Amino acid sequence: MGAANTLAAPATPGLRAAHASRGWQAARRRAFALGLAPALIVLLAITLVPAAALVVASLTPLSLTDPAGTFHFRDPLGNYRHLLEDTRFLGSIATQLKLSAASVALQLAVGLGVALLLNRPSRVLGAVRGAFLIPMVLPPIVVALIWKILFTPDVSPLHRALEAAGWPVRSLIANPDTALWAIAFAETWQWFPFTMLMVLAALQMMPADPLEAASLDGANRWQLFRYIVFPHIRPVLVVCGLFRLIDSFKAFPLIFVLTEGGPGTVTEVTNYYGFIQAFNFSYWGYGSAIATVILAGVFGLSWLVGRLGWNDHGKH
Amino acid sequence: MASTDATLPIPTRDDAPAAHRARTGRGWLRRHGRAAAALVLLAVTLFPFLWLVQLAFKPAADLFEDSLWFIPTLDGFRALLQGSFPRSFLNSLAVSTLSTAMSLAIGVPAAYALTRWQFPRRRHVALWILVTRMAPPIAFTIPFFLAYRWLGLQDTIFGLALVYLTFNLAIVIWLMQTFFEAVPTALEEAAYIDGCGVWQAFWRITLPLAAPGVAATAVLCFIFAWNDFFYALILTRTQAVTAPVAIVNFLQYEGWEWPKIAAGGTLVMFPVVVFTVLVRKYLVHGLTAGGVKD
Amino acid sequence: MTQRRHLLQAATGIGASLLLPGLSAHAQPAGARRFQGTTLNVSTFSAAYPKLLQQWLPEFEALSGAKVNFDAPSFPVYNQRADLELSTKGSAYDVVNVTFIYSSRWIDSGWLTPLDEFIANPQHTPADWDVNDFLSGARAPETGRDGKLYGIPWTAEALLSVSSRFDLVQQAGLAFPDTTDDLVKVLRAVNKKERVAGFVSDNHYGWTFVPYLHAFGGDVFRKAPDDLFPTLDTPEAVAAADYYANLIREFGPDGAITYQPDQVTQALKLGRVNFSDAGQLHLAQLGDAATSKTLKTVKFGFVPKGPAGRFPGTAVHGLGIPAGSRNKEAAWAFIQWALSKQTTRRAVAAGYGSPARRSDIDSAEFRSRQRINGNDLAQLSLDSIAQAERTGHMKYRTVSVYPQVDQQLNKAIALIASGQANARQAMQQAQAQSIAELRRAGQKI
Repeated sequence: MGAANTLAAPATPGLRAAHASRGWQAARRRAFALGLAPALIVLLAITLVPAAALVVASLTPLSLTDPAGTFHFRDPLGNYRHLLEDTRFLGSIATQLKLSAASVALQLAVGLGVALLLNRPSRVLGAVRGAFLIPMVLPPIVVALIWKILFTPDVSPLHRALEAAGWPVRSLIANPDTALWAIAFAETWQWFPFTMLMVLAALQMMPADPLEAASLDGANRWQLFRYIVFPHIRPVLVVCGLFRLIDSFKAFPLIFVLTEGGPGTVTEVTNYYGFIQAFNFSYWGYGSAIATVILAGVFGLSWLVGRLGWNDHGKH
Repeated sequence: MASTDATLPIPTRDDAPAAHRARTGRGWLRRHGRAAAALVLLAVTLFPFLWLVQLAFKPAADLFEDSLWFIPTLDGFRALLQGSFPRSFLNSLAVSTLSTAMSLAIGVPAAYALTRWQFPRRRHVALWILVTRMAPPIAFTIPFFLAYRWLGLQDTIFGLALVYLTFNLAIVIWLMQTFFEAVPTALEEAAYIDGCGVWQAFWRITLPLAAPGVAATAVLCFIFAWNDFFYALILTRTQAVTAPVAIVNFLQYEGWEWPKIAAGGTLVMFPVVVFTVLVRKYLVHGLTAGGVKD
Repeated sequence: MTQRRHLLQAATGIGASLLLPGLSAHAQPAGARRFQGTTLNVSTFSAAYPKLLQQWLPEFEALSGAKVNFDAPSFPVYNQRADLELSTKGSAYDVVNVTFIYSSRWIDSGWLTPLDEFIANPQHTPADWDVNDFLSGARAPETGRDGKLYGIPWTAEALLSVSSRFDLVQQAGLAFPDTTDDLVKVLRAVNKKERVAGFVSDNHYGWTFVPYLHAFGGDVFRKAPDDLFPTLDTPEAVAAADYYANLIREFGPDGAITYQPDQVTQALKLGRVNFSDAGQLHLAQLGDAATSKTLKTVKFGFVPKGPAGRFPGTAVHGLGIPAGSRNKEAAWAFIQWALSKQTTRRAVAAGYGSPARRSDIDSAEFRSRQRINGNDLAQLSLDSIAQAERTGHMKYRTVSVYPQVDQQLNKAIALIASGQANARQAMQQAQAQSIAELRRAGQKI
């Protein structure tokens, strides 16, 4: 290919070589483009096109009881106007924010604590670190099942143990005051290993000198943590938190299995509400509007993650 | 990615009469307290998971008993064999494998091109890929559901594998970039001089060197496809229904058959747990799809 | 092994064809096993009659040669899946349950197949199958505006009141409650006696609450089916919601608002809960000596009467064929077998409590099986159904947009019963949301 050109002895070596080199580079560029193209085309087809279709559908009152009649653009922002008046939608946003805040805060706290505990070279700790991964990799539906069993008073060992100890507890997921906390707890159980792993990685990369110096100066463990360790891992915690925040908007299996948005609407997050609107009564237009709102929120947060924690492969 | 076994050198104060300390209780606690606490914490954390697994082996009659001693039976698993669960398990296998294959086939060359080729607007492309991984499933299920009805891909294995590309492709591209960056370009340059084309050099030199990375990426793709619930719930009905959706069917049917549910849950999580052991080093990297510095 | 299975199938086939002379004589002129190689996907919600059908499936499979996948999730899950599938005219199911509150929505949108031609065709239906044997009141909701029949009813049931531990009521010196005030008095007296909770009902409040709504003088719409303006926030509706949610909150067991119908039946059978309202589809199971611990202490009655009268809820479910099904003939063969006189009579003999065929209702087997502990369940439900036909108070349920309002009622009662809102707030929210949903569904109000 391009290499053949360089082997042919040119009459004017400099100019020919320059030409050949440019031709060779162009051929290389073409080859790379060929390799990249299928992925871009596929991604375009399965992400941008559906996203565009989603936004288009959100501008119509599309409903499949009368598809032809409801696919019109007479009132493009109608769905969004209704969203602003829809108390259940607004409530779902508040619920989502509450759940996300509680769950992410807990995940960060527990993950940080466990990481600090496990941060020692030791065979036992090494194996334990691996075992802690399990909640994170379980299929989310299995996590939901596990907690469904643990939250159902009839079969739950926790409830029965509490009852035997003399502190009977009523069903946590049927009580509106505790339902959201129960879900946050289950979600924390599932995802704290993520924070743990990231903080552990950051702790490994911390330089030893400041710590040695400070400790020789007489700083105790708490001071070491507060003034040296914590500032070092804070960026990681922030990015980790943002990441978990974005993922928390997708919360579905736990709510679907444990509470179905109830009791009442106390655990109905926006994602779940969109699911109900779109897939219960085929309000495709309205459901699309809800999904577009979530997508816009996620996009904004992703951009923030990109700015703060960007792993730019180009910089290597 | 840094190994998690390096030392964090907070100096210990236990250096002096270690032997004496080892004999006394306080010394033992200081030396092994951390490990003991870690083990206790691990037991508490894994308790819910282990409870599910033991429930799968419990005979239905003992279900409401409190004792932990019971004669394990395979009745829960046997009950699973009737009905549509075996088929859904096979569906899960088929969809995950197909999705992994498709993602690798399309994503690996793209990752290589992105690694070696500096072109303008790279950051925009990279951001777009990140967003696709972050987007909530509902944003895609609505248009996909309608499109699939029209295309006849509703309730098919291929249709589901196609949808899984929305997140698996991003995973492959981001993960493989890291692995390809680790391959020095000098080897490829040598191949170019020898007369190889870009993709010939890739096939002969880069790919074999990055093979462990490909394997790890493949396993991660498999895990993510296997674990999906939302897409499968909406886009499958009776033919292509996958295992996670099939288990939920048990819950929502009238029978509160906990051993059967627990058995189903145990089976569904089993491949994932096994595979995770193989790729635990790359897990965080995969979950963040390169959105985070590490 | 396979030889034995073939023999068994053949024997079943012969046996079945002996039991069903009509079928073998007329419905299969080409011989038995007409649909060899076809796979039928049937889906209904989990209930007593589908459970019996599931047990008898091998006979149908032997007869027709078709393989049947029978899917029976819980009520809300089934409705959501069926609605979704039907709305896109999908072919995932060949036979579906035409749920009462969705029948108008599904039929009028053209999502089901008219069945008249199948019924009239002697090749598909034997002459003695007699579609007119089904109660006219049961066929009415399954008929479209065009007069065609879209579903064959398998149940015609009414909401009745039950006390599983009537002995506790008698111990307190009280009688079976007749009015809403009586009910509260009785519940106060027996709640938590012998650790038996007072009252529970399944959380489909759009079904279990409405008799109380009517009893207090309220209604769902202003004048269904003509004037569909919702009336959920009238003083009567608010009073009814307050009363009913209070029953659940004060006298309900732990997690009462999460109870599904089968949980309620189970609780009644085990004597964990005393009072409830349920259809005899479920209540008939209390007469099963094998599993019901309360067989000797159960008593049935009408739903309570309120200031405005007594309005028992009634419901009809039927089997229909989706418009997108690819095996319509085989689907009809299934429906016609499942609801033939022989099959329904067999179900009645097995204790099934709410048949839709007049001949079954009048039969001696039905009347005798439905005498549970001295109560004539059949008579109670027939009286309730007759009353519903007279007063027409069930018209709200066959409005095509009722499902949306149904869900609003579910949420409203759950909100009040769990203490998250008072009755007025919850019902006002339900009213506002219902109006929004109706408008979204294209209704002009």
